Amino acid sequence: MINRIKLFVSILAVSLLVWPAAAFAHGVDINYQTKTAVEIEAKYDTGQPVSEGQVTVYAPDNPAKPWTTGKADENGRYIFTPDPAKPGTWDVQVRLAGHGGMVPVPVGVDSDVAAAGTGYTTMQIVLMSACVIWGLVGTALYFARRKN
Amino acid sequence: MHIPDGILPATVCLGGYATAGAATWYALRKISRQGNPREGIPKASLLTAAFLVASWIHIPIPPASVHLVLNGLLGAVLGYFAMPAILIGLFFQAVLFQHGGLTTLGVNATVMGVTALLAHQIFQLRKVIGAGNRTVLAVCGFIAGAGGIALATVAVFTILFSTIPAHLDVQAERASIYALTLAHVPLAIIEGIFTAMLVLFLQKVKPDVLEG
Repeated sequence: MINRIKLFVSILAVSLLVWPAAAFAHGVDINYQTKTAVEIEAKYDTGQPVSEGQVTVYAPDNPAKPWTTGKADENGRYIFTPDPAKPGTWDVQVRLAGHGGMVPVPVGVDSDVAAAGTGYTTMQIVLMSACVIWGLVGTALYFARRKN
Repeated sequence: MHIPDGILPATVCLGGYATAGAATWYALRKISRQGNPREGIPKASLLTAAFLVASWIHIPIPPASVHLVLNGLLGAVLGYFAMPAILIGLFFQAVLFQHGGLTTLGVNATVMGVTALLAHQIFQLRKVIGAGNRTVLAVCGFIAGAGGIALATVAVFTILFSTIPAHLDVQAERASIYALTLAHVPLAIIEGIFTAMLVLFLQKVKPDVLEG
């Protein structure tokens, strides 16, 4: 019996020690979950960042209405956390003074990392430009020859 | 200067195609009424190539970086051929370099092509003011070259300013449009000087190029 009382008192004492500690927490319940964020980096074709460009994010279920808007930092970077409940292609537009572009970001679907721009390497662009210029020069030479 | 895809509403893009089509039809009609339309094709073709490459020549004007446009120069030297030349050049720029876009091709062609035709009319004033006078030729060349890009800049400014979506920070976007517009003022002067130098050179070595 004594042992039982000692045990009860011991449990009560431990309870008294623990209970106020919980009271000092003001009932805050902190949970956490990990989410995947998307960082975009916008640059002009000269390599300069689109500093403080305005960013508009469109969710896959409503490509007409902005899901969120924001502003890139001075380096043209912007981070947002897409809703994992909306898998698909999220469109992110960066705009500054009427210049800008849009990049598709696949979320929750198997896809390669998207990148905005032409998708051509510099060498490809140079080669294509050379072909077009050669075509224009050839056209000029052809009509100049006919004149003679 | 090139308005890319996704910036303008669909109605504006369609309107741009309509005006670009009308301007191109008008220019081709004028060309067909010339004595020999084929004569203008070589120089139009070469200047289309120059126009294509010009968008890669960037000039750092703080806080922005602007590139050569040459629409005023094309208007001065090519006359009515400037419109189809600019249309073709813009198409290749959009496809190859992503400068501008296919949905905004009509708007960009209107902005740069119609202003090039206006620059041509300005350059034609030299015949009224003082034919054969090199100073008059240089001044008209400068005004045509600078005026072409200045008018195009005003047109782009107006289009962008009136179509800012409500979900953006309108004040910030307007401020950046102002800054970009002002950055084109030195470019207009540069292109004006360049056009004046070119027409003086052509007048000296091959004056028949400037006729038309």
